[in-house]
Amino acid sequence: MSSAIPRIARRQLWMQLRTIEWRVLIFAALLAVTLTSFLSIVSDRLESGLLRESASVLGADLVVRSSRPIHEQRTELAKELGLTTTQVIQFPTMVGAGDNLILSSAKVITAPYPLRGEVITDPPMSATVPEPGTAWAEERIIDQLGLSIGDTLQFGYADLVLTATLKQSPDRGSGFNTLNPHLLVNKQDLEKSAVLGPGSRAEFRLLISGENSALKSFETQLKPTLESHERILSLINDQPVTGNALANGLSYVRLSSLTTLLLASLTILLALRRFGHAQQSRSALFLSMGLTPKALVTLYFWQLGIAATVIALLGGTAGALLASLADLWLSGLLPQALPNAQWSSYIIGPALGYAMLLLLGMPPALEQAKVPVAQLLRSDQSSTTQKASWGLYAVSLVLLSAVLLLFLAAPAAAAVLLVMLGISGLLFGWLAQLILHSLGHFLANRLALGRLLIMRLRQQRKWHRLQAGVMVLLLMLLSVIWVARQDLVKEWQAQFPEDVPNYFLINIQEWQKPGVDQFLADREIDTELYPMIRGRLVDLNDAPIRPQLNEEQLKDNSLRRELNLTWREQPPVQNQIIQGEWWDPESNDHQISIERDMLEDLGLELGDRLGFDVGGQPVSGVITSVREVKWESFQPNFYVIFSPAALQSYPGTWITSFKLAEERKAQANELLREFPSLTLIDIDQLMKQLAGWLERLAESSAFVLIMTLATGLILVTITLLQALEQRKTEVALLQTLGARATETKHLDLLEFGLLGLVCGSLAVFSAEITLAAMNEFLLKIPLSAHWELWFTLPALASFAFIAIASLLRAPLKIEQCYAILKNNG
Amino acid sequence: MTSGSVLLEAKQLGKQFKTGSGTLDLFVNLNLTIHAGETIAIIGKSGAGKSTLLSLLAGLDTATSGTVEFEGKPLESLTDAERAKLRADKIAFIFQSFHLLPELTAQDNVALPLEIRQQAGAESKASEWLRNVGLGDRTDHYPSQLSGGEQQRVAIARAFAGNPALLFADEPTGNLDEATGQQIVEQLFSLNEQQGTTLILITHDLELAKRCQRRIQLSNGAIEELS
Repeated sequence: MSSAIPRIARRQLWMQLRTIEWRVLIFAALLAVTLTSFLSIVSDRLESGLLRESASVLGADLVVRSSRPIHEQRTELAKELGLTTTQVIQFPTMVGAGDNLILSSAKVITAPYPLRGEVITDPPMSATVPEPGTAWAEERIIDQLGLSIGDTLQFGYADLVLTATLKQSPDRGSGFNTLNPHLLVNKQDLEKSAVLGPGSRAEFRLLISGENSALKSFETQLKPTLESHERILSLINDQPVTGNALANGLSYVRLSSLTTLLLASLTILLALRRFGHAQQSRSALFLSMGLTPKALVTLYFWQLGIAATVIALLGGTAGALLASLADLWLSGLLPQALPNAQWSSYIIGPALGYAMLLLLGMPPALEQAKVPVAQLLRSDQSSTTQKASWGLYAVSLVLLSAVLLLFLAAPAAAAVLLVMLGISGLLFGWLAQLILHSLGHFLANRLALGRLLIMRLRQQRKWHRLQAGVMVLLLMLLSVIWVARQDLVKEWQAQFPEDVPNYFLINIQEWQKPGVDQFLADREIDTELYPMIRGRLVDLNDAPIRPQLNEEQLKDNSLRRELNLTWREQPPVQNQIIQGEWWDPESNDHQISIERDMLEDLGLELGDRLGFDVGGQPVSGVITSVREVKWESFQPNFYVIFSPAALQSYPGTWITSFKLAEERKAQANELLREFPSLTLIDIDQLMKQLAGWLERLAESSAFVLIMTLATGLILVTITLLQALEQRKTEVALLQTLGARATETKHLDLLEFGLLGLVCGSLAVFSAEITLAAMNEFLLKIPLSAHWELWFTLPALASFAFIAIASLLRAPLKIEQCYAILKNNG
Repeated sequence: MTSGSVLLEAKQLGKQFKTGSGTLDLFVNLNLTIHAGETIAIIGKSGAGKSTLLSLLAGLDTATSGTVEFEGKPLESLTDAERAKLRADKIAFIFQSFHLLPELTAQDNVALPLEIRQQAGAESKASEWLRNVGLGDRTDHYPSQLSGGEQQRVAIARAFAGNPALLFADEPTGNLDEATGQQIVEQLFSLNEQQGTTLILITHDLELAKRCQRRIQLSNGAIEELS
């Protein structure tokens, strides 16, 4: 029999594919596998292309990252330990060709580079670092500037010849550096370009590689001396990517797929349960022929396994095909083509398909072994019905939940979401059934079919609870996400008034300031330059600040990095003093105006004295005023402003922002031509890029939503199917007792119309509450009712129920009625 | 097993059911001895417990009291696997509603019990049995392509193909018209005679029961052998 089992399983499956429960099951499982495959492949490609800070992607075994030039002694220590090192400087800069400019991330390197991983160029180059006087650029720079290999591009004061397209390189850096297109430049050209002056914003990295023991020793010796502007990244203690918007976006999309997976699992569970019931006489026949219960269970697992293989192959391929369109879908946003996904990401979706089918198929398959053969004996109609093994179902559901949580990679958040969805589904189902019950009683004496309706509602109450739970949850989630997405975009756009600056100009050296001032004044560009000096907050009231703060306060960002400090005579126009007074001219002490959030987060008060370390020199002042800062104003904003005497003598750079109308944008190019070492950041370009990512995020949510909707509708179909036999018998009985076929049809319409209305209304109600809570606490925008939902949701729900029920319901002829009653009697 | 020796013996057999108001005795202290090669009809009204008795005799159900011995071995002492092996090797069933697998051809349906026994030459044996029941030209047909009578003939071929010692037939003509039913009965009894199989037949039909060597009436929890 061992060889016959797979054959019988295959034939059995092939025949049963024609049954509606298998079609529903395959469709739901295919959606789940396609979605998970797509998400895991795209996430893997995005992560390994842009986010992952590990292995060869780091470009070294260990990296010291700093916002200031790397100390000599760091390099010396590495050399003493026999480690190989190289330095990288990375910073945002505008690169030009002709009238075109693009914000890029310049990486200034020197051989050997990289220490791990490889740089791939087109055409392939033998060296891994561009020759002096040349540069390698990623595709987006080349496209945007309209360059060809051999053309010249402007990098500060230096003109560099483009010799290759940069296809792939490790060591992408952090933050915006990862998303901006890269330009690789030889270190020898840095000085000539003059793009980097003292105090300029840049990321300095020391790449290190070598023996593990030497690396560990280096790390151990370095750690105690690590300064606040330095961070170690290593393969041994590599920290996961956190706080990155793109990574958060990816996990949000993955999490939102949980609803789809949950609905698909429920659908598969119900379909397999129905399948299990339908298999009982077949199983009894096998057992009557002497097949052992164990062999019978094996037969069903073979059938599930074959189905899972087909689903895994089809779903996995569909997911991979969709994922291969990702480059097209993200075009214009990616700095370079995404690398291929790791093979493991291709098997996640199919593996989930196997887990779903085999785990959810376990209870019905095991139940077959207990089917009594005696049920085949019909002379006394003594067939026994099997009781569901709830214990088995509980075990398989727990196992499947564990698999789903593992897949979602954020088990805590997913578990909370899973529980919330479960509880809300149960609550909505219960509420809907309660309302339906009251409505039924209200209509009992008002409608001709009223009494029958009450009977029907009572008979179907279990299924109504499940159908309503799913439908309300589905409609609520869809409308909340739909409306919130519109609100979010509106809110995001409303943040920026029409005249906000669209250029930031940074790294202006002291000696360049008069020239830049003049340039801006000549062109009537209304702006003001702010000095910018970096300092670290070290003291509070003349004693070290750290011991005076609690654990929560110590986590504050202002203590973890150097702050940009400034000094000025007058308060900035865009800031509002909300406490205290601006500089007291009588005072001989240095004075500080502080931003409100920083004051509150660190528990500071007016009159406190703050001490800073500015390039090794102590500077302190007394807090005399508190400012409300509008960060979204795109003006240079500062947490801490000193009175002029405090910082005037310290070296720093200057910063400003200004608005250039579209037709005057050529002036930005003029400015860079006159002062090539300045860093000009085109906020419009940046915003466009950000908006592009937001749009893609919204699109992927919409994609997940469509999948969710599809699985939800399939689930409703299978729940209607479960009660179909019962409904048929009831309709047959009614018609045999004298009801007309149209009357039984009207009864169905009434039942599903009411169910839809109740579900739609509950969905509107819960969506409005959720949206109001989001608007009040998250988005902080005025509350408003969404009247369009009040009509569309009940109509949509009624339509969905009636449509699905009509598709499944075939009108019965009176002779069929008798046959049905006879067979089920 | 030689003809005339005891094949199946029920001793002091009792079956009780729990009902809402207590327990119900379907039968008490029932004794029945069946010899190899006999044909026996069990008759009785609906609800008399014919199917339950058949289930107990076939080892498909467990009695509340008493034992059923097959070839001297008490069935209740066998494990599930041993009972399955007994069914595979020695027992066959013919059902009222045929119970053929729709995705298998007539030949595959007949070969199925042989494959379960891992018997060599299942296919040729199956087509031989189909010829025996007059369906030699229908081996590749699926159940949906066969009439009710033809389907029951396939079921008869399936039952005899395994060369069983004991054959249970549960209302084998119940789903067929009279003429077809008559043909099926002729075929069943003629094959049974050829094979020397012990046949236990459950029926409402007294005329059909008369074809058997022994007739046992089940009523009010007791059996009575009719002459």
